[in-house]
Amino acid sequence: MTTITIHINEKEYQVAPGKTILEVCRENDIEILTMCHLKGIMDVGACRLCLVEIEGVNRLLSACTTKVGANMIIRTDTERIKRYQRITTELFFAERNHVCSVCVANGKCELQQLGYKVGLDHIRYPFLYPQCEVDSSHPWYVMDHNRCIMCTRCVRVCNEVEGAHNWDVMNRGYQVRVISDFNTPWGESITCTSCGKCLHACPTGAIWPKAIVQGQLNKKPEIIEELMEKRAMKL
Amino acid sequence: MASIEKRKIIISPVTRIEGHARITIQLDETGAVDEALFHVNEFRGFEKFCEGRMYTEMPTITPRICGICPISHSIASVKACEMIQGIKPAYTGNLLRRLIQLGQNISSHALSFFHLSSPDFLLGYDSDPASRNIIGIANQFPDIALRGIRLRKFGQEISERITGKKIHIMGIAPGGMAMPLTAENRKALLDWIPEAKETVRIGLEIIKKFHRENEAMVKSFATSPTLYLGMIGENGEQELYDGNLRFIDTDGTILQDQLDPKRYLEFIAERSVNWSYLKYPYYKPFGFDKGFYRVGPLARLNVASKMKTPEAQEEFLLFKAIGNGKPVHGTFYFHYARLIEALCSVEEAEMLLNNPAITSTDIQTHGRWNYNEGIGCAEAPRGTLFHHYITDDTGKLKNVNLLIATGQNNPSMNRSITEVAKQYIHDGTKVSEGMLNRVESTIRCYDPCLSCSTHAIGQMPMEIDIIDKDGKLVDHVIR
Ligand code: SF4
Ligand code: SF4
Ligand code: FES
Repeated sequence: MTTITIHINEKEYQVAPGKTILEVCRENDIEILTMCHLKGIMDVGACRLCLVEIEGVNRLLSACTTKVGANMIIRTDTERIKRYQRITTELFFAERNHVCSVCVANGKCELQQLGYKVGLDHIRYPFLYPQCEVDSSHPWYVMDHNRCIMCTRCVRVCNEVEGAHNWDVMNRGYQVRVISDFNTPWGESITCTSCGKCLHACPTGAIWPKAIVQGQLNKKPEIIEELMEKRAMKL
Repeated sequence: MASIEKRKIIISPVTRIEGHARITIQLDETGAVDEALFHVNEFRGFEKFCEGRMYTEMPTITPRICGICPISHSIASVKACEMIQGIKPAYTGNLLRRLIQLGQNISSHALSFFHLSSPDFLLGYDSDPASRNIIGIANQFPDIALRGIRLRKFGQEISERITGKKIHIMGIAPGGMAMPLTAENRKALLDWIPEAKETVRIGLEIIKKFHRENEAMVKSFATSPTLYLGMIGENGEQELYDGNLRFIDTDGTILQDQLDPKRYLEFIAERSVNWSYLKYPYYKPFGFDKGFYRVGPLARLNVASKMKTPEAQEEFLLFKAIGNGKPVHGTFYFHYARLIEALCSVEEAEMLLNNPAITSTDIQTHGRWNYNEGIGCAEAPRGTLFHHYITDDTGKLKNVNLLIATGQNNPSMNRSITEVAKQYIHDGTKVSEGMLNRVESTIRCYDPCLSCSTHAIGQMPMEIDIIDKDGKLVDHVIR
């Protein structure tokens, strides 16, 4: 098997070409923060948390969507990267209405964990406090746009794994929203099969099962990868 | 000009000092006290911002109203959720919830008595305010201070041993509890019982000694009769967790018995008043002027026919003897009632912990949205608490009504403070230190659920405005 040589944080690695920087880092226990990445579905580089520095490239690139190239010199741990990660995390919180103490996902939320990871103790940006809809029309699940961070994991899992394509994205900028079908109540969707995959894929308390309370949320995002592996093996 | 500006700034509730008890004293034409109003601002807006949320979020949102009785809110809330779902809680889950609620009652009463009130009893009302606090107690009566702190801890330990957290716990869920009690934790809690009982007994001795030595004051302290509301069990016994309601009148005659809490609106009406964010509840059949009622430890013992545990029952008979068959109206007896309840709660916790079913894993039943309306009721340490939710057909809240204990006691608290103010203010000008102390001890009796009332160290922070008949501020005191 041909391999290429790359450098990550001043250490040399021999890796197979065609992999993403993120894949290589994960294989070698190099920490990279991610949010929109979910194993089993395509990467889109939406959240900008996995940024890395590559020598000779001026801007930061997302590790989840950038493939390794021969002799790449990559840095994952610079102050500049940390600064950006912190800014990105703060903006997640400032953009919608996240009240962790009363959120169903409290203690089980990837966004909250990210906050701890980047040492978030305050937020420097003004909160937008948008008026967001809580779509409770589905018989089993709730979609609370207050807590959505637009990672689009739900959109991709519904499209790529379930094949239903109930979810999509509408508008741009701060008005961007995940929508069900053509922006109709989720409960009226003609495409949703109620399989619950979007619920497991969602990293926050945006999609959650109606009948549970805080402390009982049990999301299993890893089942998406498992499903895809089994499917590939035709199990 | 300057004084007008000052008036504007101070009266605005937005600028009120966080954690201060805020009182307005209204004078009449002659400069004598007309009425005193105790402001409860903590609560504002809660009902409104719950609208549009899912009913299942209420057991998590509402405990944030208060850091001392979050568990009562969780319990009233999950009961309302269970009514919406049309389910009954699992047997053991229900026992565990009861146990956690007893724990909260024990620690809340321990806080009220040992941390906040015992300095008055042990060191005296006239002792130096700088050391009239739990630190002063720790210096002079180290054993009592330590015991008080540990009693409070025992109550919290109950929720911690079940749910892993002391305050703002997770796990109280519609259908029961999300986590069981392990055999090991059960044993650890049982081991605490003898010490907890002993501490409550010591508290009872302190208060009874104080009663004996200050009989005149205790008997004459804010004694205006009111109606009482409290929860009772099937046989009229005092009950905190799951029972029906009883209203009695000023003579102790039962007005309503075994009233299903779901019917509370037939008997309790609320009126908005222009000086408070809180609505003023009253006993509907008697109207706003005559329908004052009180809730809380004193009310619960006044309405109850008996206690359900032996030692508390003995003490209960002594309490009943004070009223000589009639309700005990003296506001000072709140402290005594609180300790009798604490004793009962420790004994009942022991009974529950000795029940083999307590460690079963039959802890939760499950349901889904079925009905548009849910009402839940529980006895918080400070009194009867109601949660009432109306949802749309997807479970989203359209309407929320929360009737909290301090709200129900507020009219009576105002009256008690008015009585005190009348004694101290005659020609309508200055607020004296003596009056501040009396107002403080009146508020302590009710143990209102305000952050100010929980300041364990030092005096209660207070902010008092005296307003003349034209609405002009004549005195403003902050301490
Ligand atoms: S439940 Fe399944 S089908 Fe429905 S939106 Fe989620 S992933 Fe798509
Ligand atoms: S609903 Fe959840 S999964 Fe979907 S975009 Fe929002 S945060 Fe991501
Ligand atoms: S994980 Fe790479 S951009 Fe989100």
